[in-house]
Amino acid sequence: MKFKSLLLAGSALLTGTAASAGGYQVTLAGQKNNGMGGVGVGLSLDQAAMFYNPGALAMVKDRGIQLGVNATLARNAFVAEGSNQQRELRNSITTPLNFYAGFGPAEGKFRAGIAVYTPFGSKLQYADGWEGRTSLTDIDLKSIFVQPTVSYAISDKLSVGAGLVVLAYGAVNLQRDVPLPDGFGHVELDGKADTKLGFNAGIFFKPSEKLSLGINYRSKIDAVVKDGDVTFTGIPATFSSRFEATKFGATLPLVATTSVGIGIMPTENLTIGFDVNLAQWSKYRTLRFDFDKQVNGSTVSESRREYQDALTFRLGGQYKLTSGLTLRAGGSYDESPVKDGFVTPETPDNDRLSGTLGASYAFGKFGVDLSAQYVSIKKRTQTQQELLNNGTTDRIAGTYKTNIVIPGIGLNYTF
Amino acid sequence: MNTSIFFRKAAPLAFLAGLGLTACQPDLENDVKPSSGSVDFSKYIAVGNSLTAGFSDGGLYLSGQQQSYPAILAQQLKTVGGGEFVQPLFNAPNQENGSGYLRLAGFTPTGSPITASVSTNLALRQGAAPGRPLYTKYTDPINNLGVPGIRLSDIETPGYGSMLGNPYFERITPDNQPLQTYLERVTASKPTFFTNWLGNNDVLGFATAGGAASFLTPTADFEDKNSKLINALTADGAKGVVATIPDVTNIPFFTTVGPVFRATLEAAQVPAVVVTTGGFSATPGAPPARKVIPVNTIRNANGSSGNQLFTLTASPYLALFGMPNNGRAWRDVYKQAQPALPAFVTLELFLQLQGIDTVQAFGASAAHPIPSTLVLDDVEQGLVRTATTAFNKAIKDKAAEKGLGVFDANAFFSRVAARGIVTNGVNNTAAFISGNLFSLDGVHPTPRGYAIVANEMIQVINSTYGAKVPTVNANDYRGVDFP
Repeated sequence: MKFKSLLLAGSALLTGTAASAGGYQVTLAGQKNNGMGGVGVGLSLDQAAMFYNPGALAMVKDRGIQLGVNATLARNAFVAEGSNQQRELRNSITTPLNFYAGFGPAEGKFRAGIAVYTPFGSKLQYADGWEGRTSLTDIDLKSIFVQPTVSYAISDKLSVGAGLVVLAYGAVNLQRDVPLPDGFGHVELDGKADTKLGFNAGIFFKPSEKLSLGINYRSKIDAVVKDGDVTFTGIPATFSSRFEATKFGATLPLVATTSVGIGIMPTENLTIGFDVNLAQWSKYRTLRFDFDKQVNGSTVSESRREYQDALTFRLGGQYKLTSGLTLRAGGSYDESPVKDGFVTPETPDNDRLSGTLGASYAFGKFGVDLSAQYVSIKKRTQTQQELLNNGTTDRIAGTYKTNIVIPGIGLNYTF
Repeated sequence: MNTSIFFRKAAPLAFLAGLGLTACQPDLENDVKPSSGSVDFSKYIAVGNSLTAGFSDGGLYLSGQQQSYPAILAQQLKTVGGGEFVQPLFNAPNQENGSGYLRLAGFTPTGSPITASVSTNLALRQGAAPGRPLYTKYTDPINNLGVPGIRLSDIETPGYGSMLGNPYFERITPDNQPLQTYLERVTASKPTFFTNWLGNNDVLGFATAGGAASFLTPTADFEDKNSKLINALTADGAKGVVATIPDVTNIPFFTTVGPVFRATLEAAQVPAVVVTTGGFSATPGAPPARKVIPVNTIRNANGSSGNQLFTLTASPYLALFGMPNNGRAWRDVYKQAQPALPAFVTLELFLQLQGIDTVQAFGASAAHPIPSTLVLDDVEQGLVRTATTAFNKAIKDKAAEKGLGVFDANAFFSRVAARGIVTNGVNNTAAFISGNLFSLDGVHPTPRGYAIVANEMIQVINSTYGAKVPTVNANDYRGVDFP
């Protein structure tokens, strides 16, 4: 089957990047939503409702399948405290995907479906020899969630839905340089996450043709890596007895989010959505690695994160220009979960401002959705004094600035 | 699927995305543009001693010179109008090891470092008297006037640059001006900007000799010469940074060996050791005073207990503690002292004058004590500290009078001794070898240490003169070189 083969071909590339929604969370789950600032909790646009609000799935008129792919092109500049040398990433592209298939009786109150999406991920490759090399040189976090979903319309105004969220695939690859008295070695941590379960549930209420409301909760899933591989390279024999570890374990929280959304349809052709998301990042206190043998005298490495809960505000709309063509625009403001003095190279984060554009063209049962986002992560400076005060000198003082461009395309077929 | 429609639709968006991408790369360079503030950096002159010369691992050699703090500082000053910075490098063919230095050869099974002397490819010159080397001359104009071994008290001594003076100053002294003093040399240098870090040897020589040799410069002499030196440097309105003298008792030379010795003695349940204090005796019947040091008053590893210090050079001798019939320590003391002794003083007579009976167990009794040269006891430390405090006051007062920046190296190295210093995520401490900051002689910094010193001075320049001189990534400079 065509879509299946596409999905398989794409799965090797299924990654997110620190593209949107703070921390290492990615919200690129539906191509129509992507063009509208990422709204969707209070809307019933298409099969991507399975991600944004499973409660709204029963209110989606069509059944169908859809596949979307995005290219995240992140550009970052970093200057270490006191330095005048700008460092830029070795640029990489990641391609988060989403896939949905929704089924159900044409006139029935039930809808069921399956969703595949990548809500967390990050890929950054820092410049060779950059100042923060001993905290990070490369990171590649990937996660693929698979979500069987059911939704039921209690009345023609109220529907509920829920999905079983399966962390089907999670992978982490972290690399950094190891400081030695007269040079640097390198260490790579590479592991796969255990399969874990969570849920995604929502309620959708549409009191009139002009108004809809939604609420959605996605539970926390801990990505647990056991027996990941530790590989040291470039460690001279003199020091090799201090770097013995071959296996590591770590846990990364993929945090819970609660969202409320509102949809307003002033005319038949105009839809406006407004969402607020709360991501419970405060669960992310420390990043701890446990090693089977010592790494420079210790079998444990702990690094403070102390994230805080963060809100995201999204506003977007679409206008159906002709029977085939729909145009979209939107934007979002995303609070960073990372406190001052806690910024790490894995997520050189700050508050984000995004603008989006999108368009769809439908011809018969086929449709194409295009989207483009521009994400500006605010410039952020942390000083060595802040790091000293926080006990976070395992990272680097300096100024980060990141911009991201994310073009995306989706194909859908309704039946 | 109708692909032509898809591409017609996609093309404009792809174009927009491309445009967005070009504008996407953030640029912070305008935020961090270097500026010179109120300073003309075109001619930078560095005044000082071994620390300024780039001395490391017990010697002055090419790669140490190239990574001296003035060299690093000058490299950074080039971003704000700094000119060429010439150092008297040991750059003649096959002379890169300069005076020779120590290298790390390995570790004993118990983890103690083994050092070896590098004595090939030295920059020695013919015609030297025994025990007084001469180095390959370098008489071109230079910006780095760091002279290893020089004390502030030496700066007005004619002949200090002669073949009977300091070989490092002799090396850079013009052949036609053998009597030029260091102060005259500095006066002639005419800087627009300078650093001055002179005065360490006015306490260090006394301290590293365990208070048994050398002397502490009288404060009045220090104040007078410091004042003359700064007046000379600022005569034409040059701006600059001066550095204070660190408390020498924080350096690995004094903090490495004692704690290990203490632990060994405690394990063997030895209650106390006996040492001599002060200089050696030349008077029959008046041997140097003995001092009993209870083991629990020897400074421990983190400095939380004890205050008696043993020198790094004591290490091979302390291993002989308790051994009878072993005169090695005192034999070596005699060898060191011999050049200054009258010819008739034989080893036997020397031992007799000091009241030494090497048949007795070494270090355990007044008859065979540990030589004073290996111990900086609490009283001697008090003298060093008092002098350091007075000298630093003189340095700061004179800097304030002239409106110069002050790098408070004393405060800085005290902080480093207490808490270490993190450079871009890498921990460095004042520990010997493992700490990255101090070289194998336990006194002089490694290139990493010098880079950090340069950064500290840059911060002083920036805050004093409203400049924006960029710092270096200290982690690009090595700690101790491992075999």
